[in-house]
Amino acid sequence: MKRRDFLLLSAGMLAGCTLPPRLAIHRYAPGMAEGHALRDRKALPAPSAELHTDVLILGSGIAGLTAGWRLAQQGYQDFLLLSGPEPHGNASAAHLAGTDCPRGAHYLPIPGMAATQVRELLAEMGVIERGAGTPAPYYDERSLVHAPEERLYQNGQWHSGLLQPGNADENAQIKRFFALVDQLKQKRGSDGKRIFEIPSALASQDPQWRALDRITFDAWLDREGYTSPQLRWYLDYACRDDFGATSARTSAWAGLHYFCSRDGRAANADNDAVLTWPGGLNPLARYMQQRIGAARALPGLAARVSERQGKVETLVWQPQQQRMLRIHARRVICAMPLHVAIHVVEGMGALGFDAQTHMPPHAPWLVSNFAFDHFPSEAHGVPLAWDNVVYGSRSLGYVVATHQLIRAARPEQTVFTAYHALADNTPEAARRWLQQASDDDLYQLAATDLAAVYGWKLWQNAAQVEITVRGHAMASPTPGFLSNTGLAALRACDGPIQFAHSDLSGFSIFEEAAWWGDAAARRILRA
Amino acid sequence: MDRILVLSVFVVASCGLAYELIAGALTSYLLGDSVLQFSSIIGCYLFAMGVGSHLSKYVKEERTLAAFVEIELLVGLIGGLSATVLFLVFAWASAPFRSVMYALVFCIGVLVGMEIPLVMRVMNARQAEFKELVSRVLTFDYLGALAVSLLFPLVLAPKLGMARTGLLFGVLNAAVAMWTCWAFRRDIPQLAGKLGRAGLVLLALLTAFAFSDKLTTLAEKGLFGDDVIHAETTRYQRMVVTRWHDDLRLYLNGNLQFSSRDEHRYHEALVHPVLASLPWAKRVLVLGGGDGLALREILRYPNIEHVTLVDLDPAMTTLFSTAPMLTALNKGSLKDKRATVVNADAAQWLEGNAETFDAIIIDFPDPTNFALGKLYSVPMYRLVQRHLAEHGLAVVQSTSPYFAPKSYWCIDATLREVGFNTWPYHAYVPSFGEWGFILFSKTPNYQPPEHYALPMRFLDADSTRLMFQFPADMRRVQVEPNRLNSQSLVHYFEEDWHNVLR
Repeated sequence: MKRRDFLLLSAGMLAGCTLPPRLAIHRYAPGMAEGHALRDRKALPAPSAELHTDVLILGSGIAGLTAGWRLAQQGYQDFLLLSGPEPHGNASAAHLAGTDCPRGAHYLPIPGMAATQVRELLAEMGVIERGAGTPAPYYDERSLVHAPEERLYQNGQWHSGLLQPGNADENAQIKRFFALVDQLKQKRGSDGKRIFEIPSALASQDPQWRALDRITFDAWLDREGYTSPQLRWYLDYACRDDFGATSARTSAWAGLHYFCSRDGRAANADNDAVLTWPGGLNPLARYMQQRIGAARALPGLAARVSERQGKVETLVWQPQQQRMLRIHARRVICAMPLHVAIHVVEGMGALGFDAQTHMPPHAPWLVSNFAFDHFPSEAHGVPLAWDNVVYGSRSLGYVVATHQLIRAARPEQTVFTAYHALADNTPEAARRWLQQASDDDLYQLAATDLAAVYGWKLWQNAAQVEITVRGHAMASPTPGFLSNTGLAALRACDGPIQFAHSDLSGFSIFEEAAWWGDAAARRILRA
Repeated sequence: MDRILVLSVFVVASCGLAYELIAGALTSYLLGDSVLQFSSIIGCYLFAMGVGSHLSKYVKEERTLAAFVEIELLVGLIGGLSATVLFLVFAWASAPFRSVMYALVFCIGVLVGMEIPLVMRVMNARQAEFKELVSRVLTFDYLGALAVSLLFPLVLAPKLGMARTGLLFGVLNAAVAMWTCWAFRRDIPQLAGKLGRAGLVLLALLTAFAFSDKLTTLAEKGLFGDDVIHAETTRYQRMVVTRWHDDLRLYLNGNLQFSSRDEHRYHEALVHPVLASLPWAKRVLVLGGGDGLALREILRYPNIEHVTLVDLDPAMTTLFSTAPMLTALNKGSLKDKRATVVNADAAQWLEGNAETFDAIIIDFPDPTNFALGKLYSVPMYRLVQRHLAEHGLAVVQSTSPYFAPKSYWCIDATLREVGFNTWPYHAYVPSFGEWGFILFSKTPNYQPPEHYALPMRFLDADSTRLMFQFPADMRRVQVEPNRLNSQSLVHYFEEDWHNVLR
């Protein structure tokens, strides 16, 4: 090697230290291969074993787990819980860099008085320490989000809270919007029920308010004169965060529901506090799983569900044993998302659900866990919070998995979980893009906010990234979703096959899933 | 003529090595870990010299002498001021220190690397025989290095200090430049300009030399007021021990932790109201207190069989169990047979341990940020509750009830929220002012001691009685307990001290 080459090479190496080296990207698409095989009607192997049970729950997401938890709690013995392709579904977690971190949902707002079964669960777990039946129970502080809760990156600085004051007109609009929210929180419809309630099944049926579902949230905001860019960005962010859809596609009823339904309080936290754990909502799922017991847990996924003479026959594929099981049950709780159910459950049309007209749109999401060897150094302003959001971004910011640890010193390693709903396109177009996207494409999208905030420090500090691709992550409440007759029919199913999933509400939050799981279990217990 | 050049090689070589030694010594002095500092600095410096030697070939033949003079002036200026600049940077902020340091070392290295090749070319142009030339230049190069390597540690560093040693060598470099200018005045274009610049550089360096005492005071003593006898940036904090006459002081992240003049007041007040009331106590837990001073007081009780001390920072407990001046102060408590030192994050250790203790002494840093605030929270005290014997007593240092009343009473409210009975008290510690503690237990029957079996320097029956009384200007204020969701304590603490320091 000549000296000149050597110098060039070493100069190149020095420069190379500041260029992005390849980060280990792990792409994880739970249930995709299995789901697409069902959709494509691949031939199923013949069953090689038979099993009998009284009740079979299909799916171990929050709806299925809540159903199983309730049955077990009430001493119901004869049931099985099928894991589905991804145990715990949207409440699943990964373990990276010495900490649990969410692969899906990461927080639960303090439940209000109407979400009785959620409060009951939390009290049983000890998360509510006392006063579960009172308006403001006393919570275990370790699970309440620790200060600082959230911050916003704007103009190269971090600010506390997600809405920054703007000019006088903007501030007036922001004030007006939240005054309306406070007013609507208390408001009751002609039937005496709260207009916006969680669970939504208990909300008022007053047609005057449900008419909000006929227009988009954007149309409503325009009509009401909410033009402030700060406020509009924030409201759009909220829609993408909770529903996976922009405010231009979200139903006005749903957009307001996000803000006006929450009325939970805690004796020992602010009213807007949330419950969170390093693994997101996974500890809740794990608790219910443990209450159900290992003996009732069955790995595998349902391939076909058919009603035969008032009983239900389910074909279950167990990939580990490479075998097909035929399970005979008196009743089945179908706790899987509806876009899967239509390929599994025979005769959905006869139950009143037509896939073409009634299927709610399912938004695709990326949940990306960035494992860090060191905490990156921070820009000026408010210190690292639990939830960190970038103003104006089309992404949804990131949460810090180790935030809830009680430590004087930061741990050596941590995980930042970045959320991104592919909401800027139709779900179908976004899924087509995901199908052909390279790892680098996914990475670019997943790292949008982290790259904006940390720049090259991201390369220096991040060790690996796991990108969970959820092609059909959640149902989005688009205008008209409240009058979806197909969903209404499935909610009312009380035969050998019944349904339990947040899809039945038309939007995906823990409390809705828990409500439908609990409702299914109660129907069985009542019988 | 050549003799002048060879002599300048000697000076130049000694200056070059001097800057390298100064950077290495200064950095290991300020950052610790001297092997790493010296190796990385020497590596960076030698590499930069290589780059300099390479660059020297781009100097045109007719400009070699002029370039040599310019480079000498630059080395003199940058090298001479490097130590002073590093001190100042370090005093302002330790974060960019490394970057500035390596940048300086690299610059000086590049310039020094160009010197010898240029001198050789000048001599070569004067028709010196090659073998003669190489042998003479390199001989004096190495001799200069030898001279400095002996002078630096034995004479210069102790007598002049880093900053002035650097400036001295800067002056030498500038002097070589001037001398060369003068000696080769016929061969150097724009002589007057060069001489003028050399004069300016010399003036700058001499002025800095005259005021260097003031500058280093600004940088070093200005921070702490006294001589720094140990300074170290650990993974967790910046630790500085200073001394002024017989007063030893420990600063963590710039906050005074104790002064040896009055620490006995603080530590007697922290430990004895608990332990003098527990003659049956056998096992004690100390959280924080890595200086071993509370431990020293605890070990005075013969009934104490075992003490576990949990402190985050191994550098802290190592320093206080090895440095003679500090072990004299804590009476070697950290090495005592009855003591076990654990380096762990307190909550993490409490979460993973099931032992109970008759007494728990909590001596954490003040709640200046959200991470430290968690150590004073409801869940933290719940953890403490699990480890405290049914009739045991615990105490927590709780900031000042006079300067930070909201913070102080917030800690009290937090302990009550957990269900503890509390007995707040305070003592006057001259270097802190009026300081507060809160004694707490699961049972409601505690009486402050009315006499002490052990001899005390500060505590007696009267002072103890007064400690538990709160005059009107330190009365309880109504505040929220420190919940993790709001971390009110961190906000109170900020407010309180903002009011004091305004």
